[in-house]
Amino acid sequence: MTQPVGEVGQRPTKPRPKLTVVLGLVAAVVFTLYSAQQVDMRVSTFVDMWTNPLWEKFWPIEWDWVLDRSHVIDPLIETFQIGIISAVIGCSLALPVSFAMSRLTAPNRGVYYVTKAVMNVVRAVPDLFWAKLLVTAVGVGAFAGAWALSIFSLAVMVKLFSEEVDSADPRPLEAAKAAGGRHLPSVATGVLPTVFPAYVAYSLYVLELNIRASLVLGLVGAGGIGRVIEAQRGAFQFDRILGILVIIFAVVFILEQISVALRRRLV
Amino acid sequence: MIRFENVSVTYRGGVKALRNLDLTIEDGEFVVVVGLSGAGKSTLLRALNGLVPATEGSITIDGTEVVGASAATLREVRSNIGMIFQTFNLVERTTVINNVLMGRLSAVPAWRSTLGLWPATAREEAMLALERVGIVDKAYVRASNLSGGQQQRVGIARALAQKPSVMLADEPVAALDPVTSRQVMGDLQRINQQLGITTIINLHYLDLAQEYGRRLIGLRDGLLVFDGLIDDVTPDTFTSIYGREIAASDVLADDEP
Amino acid sequence: MTDTTSTEPDTSTQRPARPVAPRVWKWAISAVILVAATWSITGLDVSIDRLTSAPGDAWNILKRMWPPAFAEEIDRGVIGKVLESVYIAWIGTVIGAVISLPLSFLAASNVSPVWIRLPMRQLFNAIRAVPELIVAMIILAVTGLGPWAGALAIGIHSVGTLGKLSSEAVESIDAGPIEAVEAAGGRWISSMRWAVFPQVLPTVVSYWLFRFEINVRASAVLGMIGAGGVGSELVSQLNFRNFPEVGAVLFVTVVAVVSIDTLSAMVRRRIIQGGTGGEGSRNDEALADLTGISLR
Repeated sequence: MTQPVGEVGQRPTKPRPKLTVVLGLVAAVVFTLYSAQQVDMRVSTFVDMWTNPLWEKFWPIEWDWVLDRSHVIDPLIETFQIGIISAVIGCSLALPVSFAMSRLTAPNRGVYYVTKAVMNVVRAVPDLFWAKLLVTAVGVGAFAGAWALSIFSLAVMVKLFSEEVDSADPRPLEAAKAAGGRHLPSVATGVLPTVFPAYVAYSLYVLELNIRASLVLGLVGAGGIGRVIEAQRGAFQFDRILGILVIIFAVVFILEQISVALRRRLV
Repeated sequence: MIRFENVSVTYRGGVKALRNLDLTIEDGEFVVVVGLSGAGKSTLLRALNGLVPATEGSITIDGTEVVGASAATLREVRSNIGMIFQTFNLVERTTVINNVLMGRLSAVPAWRSTLGLWPATAREEAMLALERVGIVDKAYVRASNLSGGQQQRVGIARALAQKPSVMLADEPVAALDPVTSRQVMGDLQRINQQLGITTIINLHYLDLAQEYGRRLIGLRDGLLVFDGLIDDVTPDTFTSIYGREIAASDVLADDEP
Repeated sequence: MTDTTSTEPDTSTQRPARPVAPRVWKWAISAVILVAATWSITGLDVSIDRLTSAPGDAWNILKRMWPPAFAEEIDRGVIGKVLESVYIAWIGTVIGAVISLPLSFLAASNVSPVWIRLPMRQLFNAIRAVPELIVAMIILAVTGLGPWAGALAIGIHSVGTLGKLSSEAVESIDAGPIEAVEAAGGRWISSMRWAVFPQVLPTVVSYWLFRFEINVRASAVLGMIGAGGVGSELVSQLNFRNFPEVGAVLFVTVVAVVSIDTLSAMVRRRIIQGGTGGEGSRNDEALADLTGISLR
């Protein structure tokens, strides 16, 4: 009954877990505990929050004020305008810059490394830092916001699209060059057609990203609906803020539906 | 004893996979089921352990009704039935022993297994099962690092770890090469003989069926068209089960012993 | 056609007409973009004057950041503030990971029934729709200032994004092992723990790390509205127009962000290779990295 059917082997002893894994886990736990202490983590916050009388200020929503055109709708339109123009500028500039930042199509190594370094730095600065910087540079308002998002989305788009160019088939480019083409026309005819659909898809994506980002630009004075939220927060008008949130909610939801539908069309 | 009485399975969409099947299998039998793909072989096995609900009729295992059984009864029934799959159905990202322990899930309280606190007896059963199929030395190797034949043996060990009274094998060798196929079939045959586990195997290859089977069941379009001993099988039997001439792809051939 | 040795152009076949549809599309799309861009510019109150002077102004500020006032900023504790941003991001990520992991199973179509799956999905979508900055603003208003408010806001938002990504990971698993657990008489919880969890773990952990990278940026931003971390320092120095100090703050932030990105990418690569490897293209990774939204 206990006779084995296959060849008999020795039972192995359970191997010890890998040292790197153990150290990694220990480090993660220690870091979590330390961070929790550093951010002053307290469970009592939830009780405080729950029992806070301030919540009453959120309800009922002051719809009369929220639905007034000049209060929310106009700033919301401004939000869209910031998102759209920054996506158009960012994505247009991203086309040449991405070709400069791909190993496949960069005219030379110097250009490649310089572009890559600059773009990495630009991307490492959060979008709202850019907004605050440009508010300081060119003054409060939507203009600064559009600037900031153009810069930030350029860097995002370049990262996405240059990797697409990297993975493009190099043979058409070789063929174009073999036929005696100069660098730029060769890239335009040999690489661009392959990667253009991806360019369109990522552009749509950046558009969605920028509209989402432009919702909060106003919190640092860079225009759009965030400006209204900031003002109402200062006045403790949370009933209005909740109303604005409902609208933002609807906008983001519709935006995502459109963008999903469009992407499905494209792919 | 396993008993199918007037069993029909109709899938959503109206496909009839089994039609009015009557079948009795005694304890300890070694049954091979053949038929074209889509003839209902897979459905037959899955109806038996309730993975596919029968739409009509009665299926009993040692007197317990499967059709329309509660979730708890189904778990109870299934804990007694080991199943082996064409695609092995192993979790490749984890170790062999963890895969085999899955066979003990029904015998261990859910909270213990979920936390990974397997009782020592469960680990022992898993090791014994691995020893039976001769790959205990791979216990702590990731399943993805094994060959196809070794993976199927882990699948068998997982089923054995349940200490089942019935073993179902759904095309267990379809993904394996001829040599490994025969090894796996040999394993199943010996398990049947040594442990007395009732074994039902779906096969596509006719020569394998004849080589290892004792009782042969033929299905065609969901109907039982043959039920008899392998010794009574003639080439005409297969032609009638398949409804066409036997093709080269229906036999495994290669280095037959 | 008939004479294969001739190189004379064969004029017997009619040349096809240049197709019209693609060109129409091209023009239509270009027109839409142009109209949208023009409409947007009109709303931004730009004069030619502002447009031309803006690059100069920006450049001017950039120049005044050089050389960065590192000594002053280190005295003001900029390193500690950047680290505080990192702690906030980490705690936020941990909260998001711990809560989203079980929920993502409940939101996956292959392992959960419709009545629980749909509410879960809507919950994730709802959370994702509200920018974390606004969540933080509300929590701050209700609880008072502090990094814990920022960590909570990031945690809540991460539940939404991680939940969505992880449930997609669950949906893309091999269903075979689930069937095996069912066939062995195991319960739902057992198939989740032993058939699904080991399959998704590497992917999900790498999502947690992506999210941490994004959250470091997010928590730096949260500081701008008073939720702790480096953002507040940037705002106050910019408000006083102390540009050399601003330069130093930016420099330290960039160094922190880039090194965390690099480190995390390294760990992620090892984790995924430890899995089956090669899953997901580099761009999917980049996308999730930037936003927590997957293209698929």
